[in-house]
Amino acid sequence: MKKLIALLLALVMVLGLVACGSGNETPATDAPVSDAGNETPATDAPAASGEKVEVTMIAAQYGTQTADWWANFVSEFNAANENINLVVDVVSWNDIYTVVNTRIANGEAPDLLNIDVFADYQADGLLLPASEWVSEETYAKFYPAFLEQSVVDDVVWAVPDLASARALYYNVDILNEVGVEVPTTWDELTDVCQKIYDYYGGEVYPWGVDMTTDEGQACFAYYIWNNGGDFTDAEGNWTLNSAENVEAIEYIIGLVNAGLTNSDPANETRYDNQDMFGAGKVAMMIGPNSIPTYCSVGGYDVNYAVASIPVNGDNASVSAGVMDRIMCFDNGYTDEELAAVTAVVDAFYDDEPYSEWVLMEDFLPATSAGGEAMAAANPESAAWIEIVGSAKFYPTAKAEWADVKQGVIDVLQQALLGEDVQTLLDDLQAEIAG
Amino acid sequence: MKKNSPKKAPKNSLARTIEPYIWIAPSVILMAIFIVIPIGYVFYMSVSEISKAGLVKGFAGLENFSKVLGSSKFSLVLKNTVVWTIMVVVLSTVLGFILALLLNNKFKGRKIARAIVVFPWATTLVIQASAWKFIIDTDYGALNTLLKSLGIIGANVNWTPTPEAFFAWEIACGIFVTIPFVCFTALSGLQSIDSSYYEAATVDGATYFQQLFNITLPLVKPSLTVATVLNIIYVFNSFPIVWTITKGDPASRTDTLVTYLYKLAFYNGKQGEAAAVSVIGFLILLVCASVYMVSTLKKGDE
Repeated sequence: MKKLIALLLALVMVLGLVACGSGNETPATDAPVSDAGNETPATDAPAASGEKVEVTMIAAQYGTQTADWWANFVSEFNAANENINLVVDVVSWNDIYTVVNTRIANGEAPDLLNIDVFADYQADGLLLPASEWVSEETYAKFYPAFLEQSVVDDVVWAVPDLASARALYYNVDILNEVGVEVPTTWDELTDVCQKIYDYYGGEVYPWGVDMTTDEGQACFAYYIWNNGGDFTDAEGNWTLNSAENVEAIEYIIGLVNAGLTNSDPANETRYDNQDMFGAGKVAMMIGPNSIPTYCSVGGYDVNYAVASIPVNGDNASVSAGVMDRIMCFDNGYTDEELAAVTAVVDAFYDDEPYSEWVLMEDFLPATSAGGEAMAAANPESAAWIEIVGSAKFYPTAKAEWADVKQGVIDVLQQALLGEDVQTLLDDLQAEIAG
Repeated sequence: MKKNSPKKAPKNSLARTIEPYIWIAPSVILMAIFIVIPIGYVFYMSVSEISKAGLVKGFAGLENFSKVLGSSKFSLVLKNTVVWTIMVVVLSTVLGFILALLLNNKFKGRKIARAIVVFPWATTLVIQASAWKFIIDTDYGALNTLLKSLGIIGANVNWTPTPEAFFAWEIACGIFVTIPFVCFTALSGLQSIDSSYYEAATVDGATYFQQLFNITLPLVKPSLTVATVLNIIYVFNSFPIVWTITKGDPASRTDTLVTYLYKLAFYNGKQGEAAAVSVIGFLILLVCASVYMVSTLKKGDE
């Protein structure tokens, strides 16, 4: 009997621990529904009774000021629109996908969502086309190139709320000390890296690289785009194993193997590199426009400057853009409810609050008015607005993107371990394109 | 009693039958809500087709399982998990037991020594793992700084040049945080051994090791068994150490089943396959824990 009880107890413990371990991927049952909690689901909005129309929104937390900004926006909006009750949950990036998926699975999708991806929700038929909930006036404000990033089947499904772009950051003091110019091509880059390496005897890493699960896809993009390659061709077919891509990845892997980069690109994230850049341990790296803020908040006193990302041969330099979006879930709205959603979106993109929004967390605007406001506030940012205007974006509108993203990170890491780049990319292409 | 109050008896016995169930009802209900239902849901997800937005699209049969088992990563990850579990459990059990033997001796400062042993256990795993990551960091690591200031090394040493080296450090970290648990379980076993056994053995001329293997070990075995079973389950399912130090990078070489399924679910959006991995892990644990319990308890009875 004792044996049996002991056995049972052990089984219960196994069950318990497995339940703990698996709680992560059971959003429907035990994940917290939201940070702010207890707001009524969108479908319960008491529009029919002539009371306030409720609009619910989940917004990503970009930084320390995001929640305050939204709280302020909500109180001002609700004061100005007496018949609308706007409720915004600000959720951290770590939790937001789980929270959104939980809400969707429970039939409590928010009305509006501010997040980076949209294709997965669109593929499930959960979204409304932007033309149905964005007024023409607001729609006209967006950079057309940005709207194109949210098109599936010739329909725009989401609108951009902000963007960021990447460029080459270099430590001016180190380059002057070594006596080299800023590299503009890969040949120059190799040469400059070697000179920095020799000068400091390996104490300074010439080039910062991040091939981690965090953001390895960005590394992949920097090199293929600046070698004339791309993830897809003009028709949107995957071209992961193109000759340009193979050459680009072989180049950067070669740079790592030659010892000219940080020591462990598969485990050192961009933030690790930014810290080392700030401390003068990394001489050059490709990074976002938020690096100045990162350095000043981190207390780093580094003399840096910005340049275009180096290219192979005479290709045009391409910056990598990242864009976040606002989308509207199809919750079976009445005309009145849809008008309320439109009112919220119009208020958000109104020039004054929107300029504040973009300037607040050091991002780049997605509307021309926001761009003008930013350029006026800070002349240096004008260059960035130009950069983001010409940046390429990840093909996030394609349903396979999540697999491609993890796939290219895996390719980079396997290549670091000595596998053949051509074979790896051939395999990935076969897996993705079928 | 029975004869004096014949009418009351059935009512009493009914109440008595029901009463224990009322007392355990809250825990049963809690367990049902927080353990049984989520587990049931994971099984349900593992045989469902689930979209990336998390909607269940229909019944998928064993497709998720065949995809998982067919992927080249899975065998690598399973191998890692087995190595991880065996290394951490075996080494922490041996080291924890030795430490318990030391702490069972009477010496000055024993209480302080015992308190210090608890520290690694009392600290959150994420913090432990972050600290280890910081210690072995090539550029800013405490280990390199220490060795440099002692003049043992001239330049920074890369302590993690290969994925295997990284994995070994993760195992070391796992052992470090598991030792206290084994140590205290063993210590409680050691303290319950009657000292007269040892006195008798000493009188008979038994050596220290004879005493260790013939008296101490058999008597501590039940507590070590419990510790080992719990450890197998706990270490197998451990997420924070691997995730904090390497996230399974590079190319899944340091992934265990749990970090692998986390990436499947939240980085690749394949929740169905992630649930399938979870179910496979559950079955492995179930078999291991049952076999171990049954065999050791049987031996204990003989």
